[in-house]
Amino acid sequence: MIKRLLSATSIAVLCLASSASAAEKVEMWVRTGVGDAFKKTVEAYNSSHENQVAMTEVPFSELVQKYATSIAGGQAPDALSMDLIYNPAFAAAGQLEDLTDWAKSLPYFNSLSPSHVKLGTYQDRIYGLPLSVETSVFAWNKDLYKKAGLDPEKAPSSWDEITANAEKIRALGDDTYGFYFSGGGCGGCMIFTFTPLVWGSGADILSADGKTATLDTPQMRKAVDIYRTMVKKDLVPAGAASDNGANFLSFTNGKIGQQSLGAFAIGSLVTEHPEINFGVTLIPGATGGTSSFAGGDNFVITKGTPKIAAVKEFLEYIYSEDGQKIMAKYGSLPTRGDIADKVLDGLDPRLQVGIQAISVAKTPYTLQFNDLINSANGPWATFTSAAIFGDDEDGAFASAQGEMQSIIDSGQ
Amino acid sequence: MTISGSNALLPRRRRSRRTGLRGLVYIAPAMALVVAFFVVPVIFTGWMSLHNWPLMGGTRWIGFKNYVRMFHDARFMSALQFTAYYTVIVTIAIFTVAFPLAIFVEKQRRFVGAYRTIIFLPVVVGLATASLLWVWLANVDSGFIGPALRALGWVDKSPNLLATFDSAFLTIIVMVVWKIAGFTMIILLTGLQAIPSELTEAARIDGAGRWQRFRYLTLPLMRKTIALALIISVTGSILAFDQFYIMTSGGPQNRMISVVYYIFNQSFVSFNLGYGAALSIALLAILVAISIVQLWLLRVREEKP
Repeated sequence: MIKRLLSATSIAVLCLASSASAAEKVEMWVRTGVGDAFKKTVEAYNSSHENQVAMTEVPFSELVQKYATSIAGGQAPDALSMDLIYNPAFAAAGQLEDLTDWAKSLPYFNSLSPSHVKLGTYQDRIYGLPLSVETSVFAWNKDLYKKAGLDPEKAPSSWDEITANAEKIRALGDDTYGFYFSGGGCGGCMIFTFTPLVWGSGADILSADGKTATLDTPQMRKAVDIYRTMVKKDLVPAGAASDNGANFLSFTNGKIGQQSLGAFAIGSLVTEHPEINFGVTLIPGATGGTSSFAGGDNFVITKGTPKIAAVKEFLEYIYSEDGQKIMAKYGSLPTRGDIADKVLDGLDPRLQVGIQAISVAKTPYTLQFNDLINSANGPWATFTSAAIFGDDEDGAFASAQGEMQSIIDSGQ
Repeated sequence: MTISGSNALLPRRRRSRRTGLRGLVYIAPAMALVVAFFVVPVIFTGWMSLHNWPLMGGTRWIGFKNYVRMFHDARFMSALQFTAYYTVIVTIAIFTVAFPLAIFVEKQRRFVGAYRTIIFLPVVVGLATASLLWVWLANVDSGFIGPALRALGWVDKSPNLLATFDSAFLTIIVMVVWKIAGFTMIILLTGLQAIPSELTEAARIDGAGRWQRFRYLTLPLMRKTIALALIISVTGSILAFDQFYIMTSGGPQNRMISVVYYIFNQSFVSFNLGYGAALSIALLAILVAISIVQLWLLRVREEKP
């Protein structure tokens, strides 16, 4: 049905376009849930350029399957906005266009978000370039801070402080809680908001080459302990235990004192929930330091597309100051570090924290991200739920460590 | 077909061949559908199961390695175990609810049509829709069950039903019984109605009590109906997927992964289409075996002379 609609619209657009000249029409897919940033950029591009971009939104949970099957069926779009964690797997499968020479010729190549470029690189060739950037940050509700007798302008800098503040906020009453996280097997949510506790303290869940699972570290034990304690003290709503990500933005209901969330959320809080008076800061590590998860999308081009010149023109427009400004206005952080200040000039100052986070941010590099981390039934999702809410903490560590390693080994 | 006289053999055979041909023409459309939508896909699945078949990239012949792998796959074994556990519990639960309901709505009484309709109504709701509805009912804050318990003063704090295995499993069982029992009831009802009332009357005249009539008259005469209801219920439970996927996403700490859920994960999350195909063939074999055993156990025995 969607395909038929697509072909119908593309024929319609082709008829319109053919009268003008040999303008190209680029077909591009983008996942849902990344806000309006990309949509608005496409609109701006189409109204000012001869080449046109036809954008199709695909539900985020199905994009990877759909893209993979469409490649197998020879119906793939020319380009795709791909969650950057999937970039290595698709590059390794040989389905993406090699962009190395062109990318390196871009004058601003060295100021493109390094985490994104790293994820887009496979065996020293570049297959993906940053499209949208999102980092995880810590947010607190200033109104609730004030009510609880805390200084609303002072950002908490350690988890002891966060826990203490949470207790004071919880004391406000029945349905006001100090902290929130989506702990019911949402691997994506937890890697985004919870691993910064471990990274900030200098540990990681995978070894640098991605071939060894290093889950059971003192830092992870400490991080789990922090969350467990808050759950035990009833500072977290009971719904957190079964939230598979559907209520990730619980902070917007105004009854959550503190939560780690993403920069896209800052955009939607500012535009859609102006009543929430909040501050943001970097996520503290469990034993000191700060960190963040650099997420977002990479721009990838399907191998062998005939419209590569038009696709590149569009990507250059995204990297222009105009393009970057539109993206930022709707919540996506600038991907070009060199003009970030100019782009963010006049926008909500809280987005600056999201930019600062880029310099301390990490992204795990693995071909098996879905299997290990994102899958609701993968070892990471199971681990976070079992270790934080379960009775057998040691058992959770042992079984997750073992299962992660066996998945890594089976993929070698 | 038995043929008695030898002189009647020739013309009969010709006619039977002609009617056989005509019969074939009649069932051809149905056969075509079965071949196109069942036989061919099964053969193709079998072919895929002999390959390393990723969603992207080339396929590679690996013989029976997928089947060998299955026997050492702890996650598959625990999925089988959970599915068996679920099937037994839910089938017992459905029958304990559906049988009394069937007996209740069989007798002609006031508003019996209304009762039948009300009990059958949940069946027409899709399973996915019903699951979503119950996700809301079981929601800890904005749902119905938890807050209602709290309002009644039975609990201090609204419980999160989907957070622990036992309560989540119970919620799913109650949901499935609510959704399916009406259908099983209708099947059992047709069986009950097929029992001639003369038999019951005769038994009553002979002095058989209520329980004796049920045990020695109703149950044996409903053998075929029970077999049908049982096979439908067991097959449906073994193929369960929607409720676990939607209501618990695999359950607290992964403890509610059914076999179909595991096949889905292998095929479309881990992209191992070949292994997923092998698991599907194994599941098909298990289902066929279970159905044969059930039919054999519940077969109508020849009357002994």
